[in-house]
Amino acid sequence: MSDHTHPTPAQYWKIAVVLAVLTAIEVGMYYIDRELGLGAFNAAILLVLALTKFIIVVGWYMHLRFESPFLNRFFTGGFILALSLYAIILGLLGVLVIRGGG
Amino acid sequence: MTDLAHEPELGHHDEHESTGIENRKLGMWVFLSSEFLFFGALISNYLLYSNRGGFDAPYPAEVYDIPFTSVSSFVLLMSSLTMVLAHNALSRDDQNGARTWLFATAALGSVFLGGQVFEFTDFIVEFGMTLSTNPAASAFYVLTGFHGLHVAIGVIMLLSLWGISRRQNGLSEKHGLNLELVGLYWHFVDIIWIVIFTVVYLLSLPPS
Amino acid sequence: MTATAERPSTTIFKRPRSTTGIWSWITTVDHKRIGIMYGYAAFFFFLVGGVEALLLRIHLAQANSEFLTAGAYNALFTMHGTTMIFLFVMPVSSAFINFMLPLLIGARDVAFPRLNALSWWLFLFGGIFLYSTFIFGTSLAPVGSDGIGGIDGNIAPGGGPGGFNFLADSPDGGWFGYQPNAGPLYSAGTAMDFWALGVQILGLASLIASVNFIVTVFNMRAKGMRLLRMPVFAWMSTVTSFLLLFSLPIIAVALFMVTFDRQFGTLFFNATGGGDPILWQHLFWLFGHPEVYILILPAMGIVSEVLPVFSKKPLFGYSAVVFAGAAIAFLGFGVWAHHMFASGVTPVAQAAFGLATMTIAIPTGIKIFNWLGTMWMGKIRLSTPMLFSIGFVAMFTIGGLSGVTHAVVPSDWQQTDTYYIVAHFHYVLFGGAIFGLFSGLYYWFPKLTGRVMSERMGKLHFWLFMIGFNLTFAPMHWLGLQGMVRRTWKYAPETGLEPWNVAVTVGAFIIALGVLVFMYNWYVSKRRGELSGLDPWDARTIEWTIPNPTPEYNFATAPVVTRLDHFWHLKYDEDDEGRPVRKPDADRVIADLEYDGLNPSQPIHLPAPSYFPMLMAIGIPVIAYGIIYHEALWGKLAIAVGAIISLSALIGWGIEPLEEPMEAHEEELDLGSAGAADVIEDSAGGEEQSGD
Repeated sequence: MSDHTHPTPAQYWKIAVVLAVLTAIEVGMYYIDRELGLGAFNAAILLVLALTKFIIVVGWYMHLRFESPFLNRFFTGGFILALSLYAIILGLLGVLVIRGGG
Repeated sequence: MTDLAHEPELGHHDEHESTGIENRKLGMWVFLSSEFLFFGALISNYLLYSNRGGFDAPYPAEVYDIPFTSVSSFVLLMSSLTMVLAHNALSRDDQNGARTWLFATAALGSVFLGGQVFEFTDFIVEFGMTLSTNPAASAFYVLTGFHGLHVAIGVIMLLSLWGISRRQNGLSEKHGLNLELVGLYWHFVDIIWIVIFTVVYLLSLPPS
Repeated sequence: MTATAERPSTTIFKRPRSTTGIWSWITTVDHKRIGIMYGYAAFFFFLVGGVEALLLRIHLAQANSEFLTAGAYNALFTMHGTTMIFLFVMPVSSAFINFMLPLLIGARDVAFPRLNALSWWLFLFGGIFLYSTFIFGTSLAPVGSDGIGGIDGNIAPGGGPGGFNFLADSPDGGWFGYQPNAGPLYSAGTAMDFWALGVQILGLASLIASVNFIVTVFNMRAKGMRLLRMPVFAWMSTVTSFLLLFSLPIIAVALFMVTFDRQFGTLFFNATGGGDPILWQHLFWLFGHPEVYILILPAMGIVSEVLPVFSKKPLFGYSAVVFAGAAIAFLGFGVWAHHMFASGVTPVAQAAFGLATMTIAIPTGIKIFNWLGTMWMGKIRLSTPMLFSIGFVAMFTIGGLSGVTHAVVPSDWQQTDTYYIVAHFHYVLFGGAIFGLFSGLYYWFPKLTGRVMSERMGKLHFWLFMIGFNLTFAPMHWLGLQGMVRRTWKYAPETGLEPWNVAVTVGAFIIALGVLVFMYNWYVSKRRGELSGLDPWDARTIEWTIPNPTPEYNFATAPVVTRLDHFWHLKYDEDDEGRPVRKPDADRVIADLEYDGLNPSQPIHLPAPSYFPMLMAIGIPVIAYGIIYHEALWGKLAIAVGAIISLSALIGWGIEPLEEPMEAHEEELDLGSAGAADVIEDSAGGEEQSGD
């Protein structure tokens, strides 16, 4: 269970700060978008920010970055499967084609 | 007798686990992989219904309190920090520290849940948005409701570990692995919320 | 692990200790016993589903028949499908995987023995809960109607004109529960709630089992048992488990949505309220298509075991068969909308899914040709297991061919909702899966009982099935093409469909006869069948290196595997032309294996029994009843009580101590054929495991 490659508490705190900052930027973008109406650009930024937070928590807090590649492939595989299947469904049901509204 | 008890068992001992990953740990990762399909369906469903116009108001995207939800999202995010600190403390055999951070995680999780309950109550009482108001509302409540249920189960598991640690003056190696497993589950619940917060709250538009 | 021994036990109740009697079955965590229980329960449901089918066939033998009321008809085809899929084929496959998987990979149990027990109890209680709809379920007229077509109360109660009306109050929305037909408006009453929640519980059982099997295969193989040395059935079990793992959560969400629509007023599939009925179809079939591969792959695995043994040849193209199985599963996730060609999906979608569906024929074809290649030039022995496996190859091919015709979209439009489809899936599921499963039952019967089943009765069973099955389902191809509509209560005499329907019904009863022969064979052979010895079939894989019936501890010593078909190569060399030559000491090898298998030289640790799995499982249907009746106070209480029971069991399970003091167990052990060996019950067979 204990492993030489575990981050230290200090590093965990630093990661937490990064996550908090990313969240703050996300919320900030939300308000900026309300003012400026950035459309797809806003969506892209927010999704990238969310993905970054996602990868940080999975990679460092869940320790996947330092685990066996087998676990990595398994977990990532499940994620990609979900993403693909639901993207196709949303495409078939007309959601992914139209951005925003109606 | 102890020698025989430690005899390499068929497929039971780290040295014999063919992947090198303990059974329960592998099991938890396997289970969590399947949960992507579960939450993916609920999130997609929300995306499908969130802006279907022509039905009773209000729509979830019309009633969100983004500042409030931002704070509770931050709380949940920080609970991942406390969780990982608990795990780290245990790995250094700091049983007291582990207990403290476990409790902190459960507390932060409970705060998040409290926020969810407050938010739902507000939506229902203040804005009249119930499960049956429109499909977007149905989708919203069921998605966030199931997420909340997952958090609640997580809190119960955290408090159980905390209780066992208190009663037994610390966690044995077996329960130590359980802490790591609960941690994986907890972080997973957090990353699902990362997606939900962005996709369902920040990016969602009501029907025009 | 002295640290653990120092900590006080935290159990509230004493750990169960019995090894005989009903309590030992209730608390067992032994994969073999769990497999046996799965098998008997699943077979019971097979009989129930079969009776449902026979009732349908009696009705359909006559045009304009009113033997069944319309309500009963709808309920019977719904329950027949639901039962055969969720309560027979899936659990019987689970029975096989449970019993055989550890033996095939050289392990003593699965990764999480108590979790295994939990899956079994959830299945049993889920099945009982589902069938309790016969007693408690209600099926009312659509909300706001006074009956359709002048029939008061529409379908039930009263069910319309006709004789047999029993069961009209059961789920009648089809095994596929299409919305909004099976929703709160058009299927008022509680019957479809029992269906939705019942299937939900069964899905949970299978999901848990899939996690268990995946970890077992990846972590608990014997030394030298590399993944690409595993018997094909072990591989197919793994692939099936992946399919379950990733498809069950989808149906879980869909079933929750339907339950919430029916019970809590959500609008997921409420068309006028803005919900999307097509969403149900997508979610259902996203699960439903992988589900059919879940149903067929274990049987394919069995066939891949049986054909080589009874052809005295290795499986032709082992790697190709394995990868084809994986490819079928992977591709199987991408074809679900081929069940929706007539539901209004766009032409682009139809083309894409039609094409994708055709690609699955490729790995499937690889398997079929490799099975044929296995038999080609082999020394064929037409014992019963072999007959059923050959029957599988032939019948499944026919079913696969009709499946390919469905992949052609315009052709599918003609076939949809006709008996042609019914013919297709019965050819692959009955001629395929069920034939394969029976092959496995005859083949592995000695592992369970130490005896072989009667060959005479086995062959009679096989031929009754071959004749009966083909007489039942072959005519459905042309009945369908002539326009006989499925899921429909009556057909008019002018259609000219009646004569072949009579033939179909006759065939169904011949199948029933075959089942009776099988049951009698099982009963008699268990008691008085010829003793099998260690290696009755001159087999190839390591489950046959241990005595029959399988000892409680499986392997006395951990096997070490050096190559594919390890056991075969202990017995046979190859001559210059590659033909097998039995080694002179082969019989002695077998005798030694038998002796060593019965006399372990050191104490063996087995997972200790537990009642927490059963306790935890009981809480779930209690919650389900509470959800259905949640408007009443007792319903709300039931939800709370069920949750408390399951949660308490979960906590108790979590703190159930790893190790029991060894002395406490030594007196109780009934070792049977294990002779003088010490078999010590210990939790999870190892310190690192909690045996979850």
